Amino acid sequence: MGQVVHTKGTAVAASSGTAAPGQYLTFTLGGEMFGVGILNVKEIIEFGSITEIPMMPVFIRGVINLRGAVVPVIDLAARFGGKVTEVGRRTCIVIIEVPDEETRHDIGVIVDAVSEVLEIPGSEIEPPPSFGARIRAEFIQGMGKVAGKFVILLDIARVLSVEEIAMLTGVESAAGEVAPTAGGG
Amino acid sequence: MDEITSVYIQESREQLAEMESCLLGLEQNPDDPDNINAIFRAAHTIKGGAGVIECHFIEAFTHRVENVLDALRNGALTVTPTLTTLLLGCCDHMVSLIEVLAAGEAGPAGELQAQGEVLSAQVQGFLDGMAGGEPAAASELTVADREPAVEVENAGGIVLNDSWHVSVRFGENVMRGGMDPLSFIYYLASLGEILNIATITDAIPVAAEMDPESCYLGFEIQLQTRSSKADIERVFDFVRDECELRILPPNSRLSEYLKHIQELPEDSMRLGEILVRCGALTQAELELGLSQQKLALGDDGTSAPPLGEILVDHKVVNPEVVEAAVVKQAQVSDKKAREARLVRVQADKLDQLIDLVGELVIAGASANLLAQKSRQTDLVEATSVLSRLVENIRDAALQLRMVQIGDTFNRFQRVVRDVSKELGKEIELHISGAETELDKTVVEKIGDPLMHLVRNSLDHGIEPTALRLERGKPACGRVSLNAYHDSGSIVIEVADDGGGLNKEKIAAKAVERGLIQPGEILSEHEVVNLIFEPGFSTVDKVSNLSGRGVGMDVVRRNIQALRGTVDVASVDGQGATFTIRLPLTLAIIDGFLVGVNKAAYVIPLDTVVECIELKNLQSDRNFMNLRGEALPFIRLRELFEIPGNVPSRESIVVVQFAGQRAGIVVDQLMGEFQTVIKPLGAMFRHLRGIGGSTILGSGDVALILDVAALVQSVTQSELQRFSERGQSAPAMLSNNPFSQH
Repeated sequence: MGQVVHTKGTAVAASSGTAAPGQYLTFTLGGEMFGVGILNVKEIIEFGSITEIPMMPVFIRGVINLRGAVVPVIDLAARFGGKVTEVGRRTCIVIIEVPDEETRHDIGVIVDAVSEVLEIPGSEIEPPPSFGARIRAEFIQGMGKVAGKFVILLDIARVLSVEEIAMLTGVESAAGEVAPTAGGG
Repeated sequence: MDEITSVYIQESREQLAEMESCLLGLEQNPDDPDNINAIFRAAHTIKGGAGVIECHFIEAFTHRVENVLDALRNGALTVTPTLTTLLLGCCDHMVSLIEVLAAGEAGPAGELQAQGEVLSAQVQGFLDGMAGGEPAAASELTVADREPAVEVENAGGIVLNDSWHVSVRFGENVMRGGMDPLSFIYYLASLGEILNIATITDAIPVAAEMDPESCYLGFEIQLQTRSSKADIERVFDFVRDECELRILPPNSRLSEYLKHIQELPEDSMRLGEILVRCGALTQAELELGLSQQKLALGDDGTSAPPLGEILVDHKVVNPEVVEAAVVKQAQVSDKKAREARLVRVQADKLDQLIDLVGELVIAGASANLLAQKSRQTDLVEATSVLSRLVENIRDAALQLRMVQIGDTFNRFQRVVRDVSKELGKEIELHISGAETELDKTVVEKIGDPLMHLVRNSLDHGIEPTALRLERGKPACGRVSLNAYHDSGSIVIEVADDGGGLNKEKIAAKAVERGLIQPGEILSEHEVVNLIFEPGFSTVDKVSNLSGRGVGMDVVRRNIQALRGTVDVASVDGQGATFTIRLPLTLAIIDGFLVGVNKAAYVIPLDTVVECIELKNLQSDRNFMNLRGEALPFIRLRELFEIPGNVPSRESIVVVQFAGQRAGIVVDQLMGEFQTVIKPLGAMFRHLRGIGGSTILGSGDVALILDVAALVQSVTQSELQRFSERGQSAPAMLSNNPFSQH
């Protein structure tokens, strides 16, 4: 899984330097603090029932019914190559609007807990380290400094790139077709 | 672009489509007057609209076309194949002109302009030929009587001029009705040449009383034109009720001018002067006329008869014209009534409505669930009434997006006609299932692939007439388009009764292109379907219709983009049939709800044949004996890797699609369920076997199985597995590198 990810996205390096929004929604994921631009966030909902989609990579948890719209839900921790998020009492789904060429997609993201909305001035945002964050560098828009600690600010357009995820699901479902149906026919 | 223009463009497109279909009907039925009138009306409406929005290039061209149509209508011209072809060409040109307008350009570009001139010249050729051949019949619109009269008579005689006199007084409300008097004058000028125009301002009141929104103007116009009186009258159609219009034909009798002067509200003397000024009368004629007039009045002294009578009396209008006008008015009001029954709605507003209805359904279902839990009879009853109503609303709302495929099919009448002429073949198009409904977006996208298939059938499918006769077939080839619903999908067939596909040639070509290995044994069906492979074309000679070797490949890709499939079957000497199978996207389907562990899945009910209990398995292989037939089945639990223990009782849902049967093993059968399909979105576009999703009464999302794709992918993965193990796959194509992935 991780290998597939790394072979894919090497071309895109320059993170979107266009006037980063000053306000970030911060949340925790596996004990770490992350932030996304508040303008991308549509709403935060309680973790409810998710319908799993078969033959999908692990980081796609399934789909939910968001007031009549079927919205895919991504497990960010798994997307970053880590473990699948355990659902706890404070687990939430953050609905994020991702621009994709001319259209926009709503995508849900599972997080351990939502913290707060922080205002981080541009001067307090450092460029991402070239390695060591254990997340693909292009996913990181910058490192926000809040009270002496780093908050990883995510580049949503890249983390939730519909194009890339669709490609990964294509690989997975092609592979998935071979694996099951034990028993022969 | 302003609103009027965009409405005009929209309407003109519709008019042109109607005109085209009428023109095609004209070939079959050359003498149908209703049809000719319909064509004329379409052209006239376009011209009229063009005049109003001041789009002169459309107006000018359409005017010429209208002349021919008018001649047709009067019987001055007869329908010939050349004429129909020319008119169809004109129709196409008008479509292009409308596109030019839609693109916001000032006028047609060089090539188009040249094309228009060629067409105009041809049209003119027809008119000239007609004028020479049958001058009498065409008297109303030709110049046959434009020569100045030779004899000069007395005051009762003819006024010597060769132009029409048009007198118009606009009503007060013309401008309030959104009409600009000036545009009518401009439009009138398009009929011919305005020699002289005098503005009558007498009606303008003193400044204090004047309402700037009212129109007080009138015009006296000398118009030199070849148009008929009806044409001139039609210019003012939009303000017919609002204005006073008088038209005197060329070389009218002086007495008619006098009548005209009298009937107008303005002072006679002054009007007379105006007429002289605008060249309708000479001073001498006027004086002569007026003195005669006095004499006549003195003689009998009767009051003026009613206007219509005067007009008919003096042959200003003849009775037939009046009758025609009445008929035309009836038609216009008919059309208005029909339009009133249609409402244009933007597609996204509809989508929004359907989204809302979808939510309503879900909310209704959960209310129903709660009501049943509460065990209050009244509440249960109320919610059940509510949910029935909601269901009706949903059905109605979904129906709004569905359109019949007939319109798309009918477009091909023209294609078949043109192509068969071009190829010198005689081919008829047979359409069935035109009332089959499918989603609007699908209808829009299926046009191109269909076009390719139809052209392919015309070009390669149908043999030349001589060969057909030799083979003992009727000379007239037949291409048929058919559509029907089958097992939750829509099937569109394009069939021809030509020679069928040449299998040896296809196989040879496939070997040459390296698509298959020499000596590889393929079934007939596999061979013919090789034509959908990229870069495959068997025709050695590239024609301008098809045969560029990209066609079929593109067709398949376009159809796959709609989550559909395309397949061809061919019988040597009897023809080929292309079958397109499309899923019903965004439609309501009757689903069959099944459960595996906690997950729910919907199987389209149309595909379900029966449900049986899974028992008496002779082995652990995935097939069973269904009344003597070996029925392969899919264990959903295994395929989808669903956790949980296998319950003691499992069921098999037997499904059928495209003549194939299979079983799907599930834990529970939960019954029928009315399903609103929600597409899963771009992220899941590679997912095969799942056709979409729907929302259950509980608010949970259930996945809809795409049975055909599911079975296909399982078949493929098994094939792949066996070929990987180096075992020969039983009686099937072993390693087909281009089978779908």
